Amino acid sequence: MIRFDNVTKLYGRDTVALEQVNLEIEPGEFVFLVGASGSGKSTLVRLILKEMEPSRGAIYVKGVRLSSIPRRQIPRLRRDIGCVFQDFKLLPNKTAAENVGYAMEVTGQKRRAIRTKVPQILDLVGLSAKMGKFPRELSGGEQQRVSVARAFVSQPRILLADEPTGNLDPETSVGIMNLLQRINRIGTTVLVATHDREMVDVMRKRVVALEQGRVVRDMVKGAYADEV
Amino acid sequence: MRFNLGFFLKEALTNIRLNLLMSVTAVTTTFVCVLVLGAAILVSGHVEGIIGSVRQDVSVEAFFSPDETQDRIDEVRQQVEAYPEVSEVKYISQEQALADFKDTFKDNPEIYQDLGSDVLPASLAIQIEDPSEAEAVAGKLRSAGFTDENLSYPQQTIERLNSVTSYMIWGLRAATALFLISSILLISNAIRLSIFARRQEIEVMKLVGASDSFVRTPFVFEGMMQSLVGATLAALVVVWFNYLFVDWARDYLPFFPISASAINTFLVLVILVAVGAAIGVLGSFLSVTRFLRV
Repeated sequence: MIRFDNVTKLYGRDTVALEQVNLEIEPGEFVFLVGASGSGKSTLVRLILKEMEPSRGAIYVKGVRLSSIPRRQIPRLRRDIGCVFQDFKLLPNKTAAENVGYAMEVTGQKRRAIRTKVPQILDLVGLSAKMGKFPRELSGGEQQRVSVARAFVSQPRILLADEPTGNLDPETSVGIMNLLQRINRIGTTVLVATHDREMVDVMRKRVVALEQGRVVRDMVKGAYADEV
Repeated sequence: MRFNLGFFLKEALTNIRLNLLMSVTAVTTTFVCVLVLGAAILVSGHVEGIIGSVRQDVSVEAFFSPDETQDRIDEVRQQVEAYPEVSEVKYISQEQALADFKDTFKDNPEIYQDLGSDVLPASLAIQIEDPSEAEAVAGKLRSAGFTDENLSYPQQTIERLNSVTSYMIWGLRAATALFLISSILLISNAIRLSIFARRQEIEVMKLVGASDSFVRTPFVFEGMMQSLVGATLAALVVVWFNYLFVDWARDYLPFFPISASAINTFLVLVILVAVGAAIGVLGSFLSVTRFLRV
């Protein structure tokens, strides 16, 4: 589903963000990407979204080499990749329902489809009572659930989450993780970049560890740190 | 993908409502710029109108000697009418000349009371299309048999007028163009500021998979609506002011040939509104595009 082939990413001339990363993520997998701040997690996520180009190497998403996708086709790529960010990235002037609906509007879906689908999804994330609220009227956990709903509403095959629980308390984080797990269970490939140690240890999923831009560990049913 | 006009319009209107201060700034900037632009058009229109009417007064008069036969006069008149430089030829008979004379001095009838109808010569009043061709027309008239005494044309005045007025007209046009350019810069700057404040929204839209045009269209609509409002208000003020000015000039500047016909108000209205809207569209289009590279 996602494949990194010897990918190196430099910022400027000599700041190494990723170094010769090789990674293969199968369809339907749930993968944690762990590492300290600055280890390259966010860079990896942004490369998958084609927010920027790798300096060397190739990235394949759904079998398509990203460097072969023209700029005009990037929106199409992103519509099949749901995204959740640490800072939620909701549109401040839109209600929860409108934020979720926007992701459907961009794909040109019918008004009627949007009107039926959005409440369903918000119900799924437990926010049906807050559909008309603006992001500033919602708690962090609620905003993140809106953001998950938005990422998932067009049923993408891939869901990327960059520090989705970074701004949330542990209890709320569990709720978000459960949500991601449910999304994964219906076949969506989920990649979560995080440094939430407890969460990773509890969930027992595949763990890819980055250190200074290199993949230092890749374990099925792994933990955040090497097992003692 | 279907073009979702309703969605885009709703987006634009919501954005205007939520960013009211920025909208007011954009509308005001457009208003002021279009006002200045309109003022420049008014000034140059009226000055060109004055220049035009002064130039139009440039005519060559050719006097016939009293013993010329009517047949000969008609023949010459037809010849002159055929000159390409000539826009209008008016024949003034001896009787007409006397009548005009009487009219001019109607307050002092003693001046003309002894004049017979054969004292004043018949003449052709020849209007020339382009004042710089007065000399050429005079030359042709000479070869048609008129002597210098029988021709009256203010050659030197014409030449001077010609060079001064063409400088003035070009100066005015250059000034108008400068105003136009600075309006474009000011307006697109105001729009850019309002979009800069929302660049993060644009980034989010792009990350959710919106295409460039999907993000851009509401902004362009918004810019167009704002500048349409500003430009329309300014255009109305300009046209209204023009009426006041023409009225005022009629009473206080009677010697200046200022007339309402120098300005095509409808055209000015259309031009100002169209220029305003175009700047709004162009300005917002270019400004959003700068932030679309996500």
